[in-house]
Amino acid sequence: MTNGFDDAKEIEVDYARLRVPFGPVHPALKEPISLKVTVRKEEILDVDIGLGHVHRGIEALAENRNLVQALYLVERICGICSHSHTTCFTQALEEIGEIKPSERALYLRSLIFELERMHSHLLLLGLMAYEIGFDTLFMFTWHVRENVLDLFEEITGNRVHHAMNTIGGVRWDLPPHLVGKMNDTLKNLEKSVKYICEVFQNKTVEKRLCEVGVLNHIEARELCVVGPTARGSGVNVDIRRDYPYAAYGELKDSFSVILRNSADAYARTEVRISELFESINVVHTILDELPNGSISMEESALKLMRKIPEGETVSIVEAPRGELLYFVKTNGKDGLWRLKVRTPTIANVLGLKPMLIGGEIADIPVTVASIDPCMSCANRVTVVDQGKGEKKVINWENLRRRGKKQ
Amino acid sequence: MNTILILLITFPVVFFLSLLFEGVDRKVHARMQKRIGPPIIQPFYDFIKLFNKERIVPVTASSRIFTAVPMIAAAASIVGAAIPIASLVLETGIGGDLILILYLLAMSSVMVMIGGSSSGNPYGAVGFSRKMTMLIAYEVPMLISILSVSLNCVSLAYYNIVSAQIGMKSLLAFTRPSMAVAAATFLLCIPAAADAVPFDISEAKTEIIHGSLVEYGGPYLALVKLAKVASNFAMTFLAVSLFFYFPALLEGYASVGLGALCLCLVPTLILLLLTITVPRTIFARLKIGQAFKFYWLISLALSIISVALSTLGL
Repeated sequence: MTNGFDDAKEIEVDYARLRVPFGPVHPALKEPISLKVTVRKEEILDVDIGLGHVHRGIEALAENRNLVQALYLVERICGICSHSHTTCFTQALEEIGEIKPSERALYLRSLIFELERMHSHLLLLGLMAYEIGFDTLFMFTWHVRENVLDLFEEITGNRVHHAMNTIGGVRWDLPPHLVGKMNDTLKNLEKSVKYICEVFQNKTVEKRLCEVGVLNHIEARELCVVGPTARGSGVNVDIRRDYPYAAYGELKDSFSVILRNSADAYARTEVRISELFESINVVHTILDELPNGSISMEESALKLMRKIPEGETVSIVEAPRGELLYFVKTNGKDGLWRLKVRTPTIANVLGLKPMLIGGEIADIPVTVASIDPCMSCANRVTVVDQGKGEKKVINWENLRRRGKKQ
Repeated sequence: MNTILILLITFPVVFFLSLLFEGVDRKVHARMQKRIGPPIIQPFYDFIKLFNKERIVPVTASSRIFTAVPMIAAAASIVGAAIPIASLVLETGIGGDLILILYLLAMSSVMVMIGGSSSGNPYGAVGFSRKMTMLIAYEVPMLISILSVSLNCVSLAYYNIVSAQIGMKSLLAFTRPSMAVAAATFLLCIPAAADAVPFDISEAKTEIIHGSLVEYGGPYLALVKLAKVASNFAMTFLAVSLFFYFPALLEGYASVGLGALCLCLVPTLILLLLTITVPRTIFARLKIGQAFKFYWLISLALSIISVALSTLGL
């Protein structure tokens, strides 16, 4: 018998090793991701991450539509950061078409953007509480989040898919009577967030989150994680400051980039709580400094769309979960050659493996939640044939063939 | 004849009270979370609904154990809850029934655990190992605190301890420092025995999908849930009648019998809310290691102090 055989046998009879399927359907997951976790008692030995359960072919769909239709389609990529997607897409189109939206339109874009960041972060804080079994905090946080959704409804008419952006501006103006109401809501919100912040310092919460899912600074840099996940590991990135878009160039003094060095789930939660205060600050500044003027171009979006020439560009924004990247290649005939979306989750999900290994089963839900995964945004590579039950991952060759065809 | 009738009535009474208390618990929990919450009789609706559902036994399960275990669990905890009630009403008891009650209550947890591991689901197995650890963590201090009580009252019969309180015209927990410590230990162990947050580690919903209960559905789930609520009721009723027997403060008829039982129910409900509902509202779930440490460092130490004090005659 060779040595290698002995090792293999040893692993086989190691009865304490158990392969626990975590997902794709699991109460702790709001969207499907499959983690095949190998555990010994409570300790995690290995993790295998599988994506691709809710791939919806949005990129291919967008390539078959005109630009305005695609604009409303990309909004549906994510149910939480819908405004980030449209902003990123319109920015790319405006860059190709050399259209310059008015100052007021850019400020309004940033306004919705920051409100969206608040509602996304509040949603996640609630989920974090739910994952650690703290239902009261979960209920309270989502109760607070309702206030932000109400503001969305007042401004745009919709709670989730705001349809705010259009080529060359925004679709809804902020009526003056709403400014006072928004200031009141923000004041209440600030009070509630302070309270949430205090509750998160509860002893049992700290016990569950501190030193859980550690992603150290070097690993975070190597895996190129983005957004609050990166900032929780002390990586100083924020697209709003590094590559200002919309009105963030003028707003850069009203927010600061929150960094934490402890690199655990608690650090990522803390970053999000502090960013809530920063967002409230930004919204206050926007309400004070909102310039006058029209909110959109004189020409309709459809006319503008036909004027967009053939061209390609890359556009990035700081979505609530981190850097969101769009590669847009237009065909000059109101359509798209290629649309490529890289959502923050696809960057962050790679960080899950180093976070989980060495942890406990009890830590899986909080660790997964702490990167704020948004699975339907991230799924794109696996093709599942349900009839035959076979799975195939599109490899480099297929991708190249697909690229050459265009 | 009368005795048999009372014994027969006790079982439906336990069934009714434990589901009712569960309803109150859920309502109060919801109000503390700023929710409206389900109607108080919701657990009855749930029970009836689950009983009308299909019986599903997973292919991987060893079906005999899987189907028998919920019945044993429900029976064990209902009998465990019925014994103290019956002996209070009948004003009698068997020697050593205290051990029997605790055994029956532990048995219902163990049965659910076995059912989970017989389902063939890996989450059931994880739930088994977690519940096993928790049982070791809380059962030992709980038993030692009861041991301290019986050392103090020189009896292992439930009714003798109650009548000792009536004789002293005082609540046992306030008679001696050793008993106060024993009462504290017992109360600390109730949330773990009830699988309530922060100690619901063995059936953590977001971690291991209810652990042992993962494959149970329909009538089996109804029975498992009944076992759980009945043992919660029994545990709190036991705590009230052993340590805080309020009717002892009253004269004559109200101190024993049916009247005393009714007087005990209000403190039982209050104790249930304090030991199960409140922690489950204000805490987050602990990890198994943290919970184990809590019980072995604090509860076990308290229970040993209590025994030491009662052997010294304090």
